[in-house]
Amino acid sequence: MSESIKPSRKITDSRIWRSFFRHGWPDNPLDRSLTMTSNVFFHLHPVKVSRKSLAWSYSFGLGVISVILFLVLVFTGVLLMFYYVPSIERAYPAMNTIQLSVPMGQFTRNMHRWSAHLMVLAVVLHMVRVFYTGAYKPPREFNWVVGVVLLLFTLGASFTGYLLPWDQLSYWAITVGSNIAGYAPVVGSTVREMLLGGQEVGQDALIRFYTLHIALLPVLMVVAMSVHLWRVRKDGGLAVNHNEHNG
Amino acid sequence: MNTTDEVFPKQTGKSYALVELMPGSGPMVGKGPEDTVFSFPIVLLIEGILFLGVTLVVFIFSLVKQAPLDAIANPLITADPAKAPWYFVGLQELLEHMHPLLAGILAPTSLILFLLAIPYIDHARENAGVWFTSVRGRRIAILSAVYTVIVMPVFILLDNAYSLRELLRNSAPVWVAQGLLPALIIALILMIPLTVLRMSKANRREVMICLFTVTLMAAIIFTLSGFFLRGPGFKMYPPWAMPNNYNPIDGL
Repeated sequence: MSESIKPSRKITDSRIWRSFFRHGWPDNPLDRSLTMTSNVFFHLHPVKVSRKSLAWSYSFGLGVISVILFLVLVFTGVLLMFYYVPSIERAYPAMNTIQLSVPMGQFTRNMHRWSAHLMVLAVVLHMVRVFYTGAYKPPREFNWVVGVVLLLFTLGASFTGYLLPWDQLSYWAITVGSNIAGYAPVVGSTVREMLLGGQEVGQDALIRFYTLHIALLPVLMVVAMSVHLWRVRKDGGLAVNHNEHNG
Repeated sequence: MNTTDEVFPKQTGKSYALVELMPGSGPMVGKGPEDTVFSFPIVLLIEGILFLGVTLVVFIFSLVKQAPLDAIANPLITADPAKAPWYFVGLQELLEHMHPLLAGILAPTSLILFLLAIPYIDHARENAGVWFTSVRGRRIAILSAVYTVIVMPVFILLDNAYSLRELLRNSAPVWVAQGLLPALIIALILMIPLTVLRMSKANRREVMICLFTVTLMAAIIFTLSGFFLRGPGFKMYPPWAMPNNYNPIDGL
């Protein structure tokens, strides 16, 4: 941090600043550490990270990219929720309204859809990266399991969102997709009926998918992501080989 | 700034005392503190740049390509082809080749169980955080990928041309033609590289690399086949000769 942008001590020592931050301007090791440990958002990070774990060719930033796409999805998703109505009579007209008369509506929907596809891709690639670097090895076994659960949540969030436009594309994709669940022996038809709220994709399925998509799955994902990131910190950051001397 | 000063600040207003020596090693123990950087501001800056980059890519893509919206859903008119979302289209392709119980339930269930089991089967701590663990590991990954990229398309195309279901329609029960035989073929496809690895005394990590690579490449190939090669009636067509002007990209 250069001296020129450092605010005067009057500000950083003031009662109001200190009530917010509880530490001084982060230009020294102590205040930099406190920036991380005393801030709820930054607290998922360790105070210091290994230089090797920051190498682009090691992680490709795929985990962080997944989180970023999740944030983009929450932001654009909330915007879309202001106009979308989860009813089989009104969903499709609402889609038309969003695309034709809501300012930036089509663009917001585009952002939401492409981010969703990209997130599935990023999460899968993240898993591939973690596997090939052997980053699931002890003590990180359980965090790999949390990651697999997060992958399933991501697929679930994308699949439930797929139905919402209520067009031919989404209707038949969900019909084909949910039929697969029906093939399970004994419990198959029950599982399918629980998912759809009936025998066919209809109003009950739409409201179930909507609720899963905008409430249950995002909340579960935030919780699982917090555990996932917190454990990365607890396990000493990304798994990098400290014995290996620069390749 | 002097590294030592940064790591061991001289005036922090704190005193340190050695409280107790514990046996065992944490992830950073004995590795020396000089290999680290402060999260503030370095990691946060990198994340900020990544945030701008990712949103910029999505932003530009959203300006260029519109999200698809088909006609309103109509349960009476089946969309043709009716395809699952792209990440499940590999499963749909698999369903064309074997019994739904095998393709729709057993295959995905065993895939998830395999993923969950990986760290408990391969629990050696050595070389965590090294791409492919070793030179040999990298070679196993490449060879497994090449093997799968050859074998899986052959299986898909052969089964599409000479369907086991049709060949054995009158001579064998459904559970043999669509259950047992495809399961045996998959088992054989997996057993060949595993036998080679066994003969070369591979360790668990190397076996996992082989299995994961075969599964990953197979999933990619089945997804690509289901997505790009399947047209109306979910029948196989070359991508340049799709009937009815069907373009799979429109369904993304």
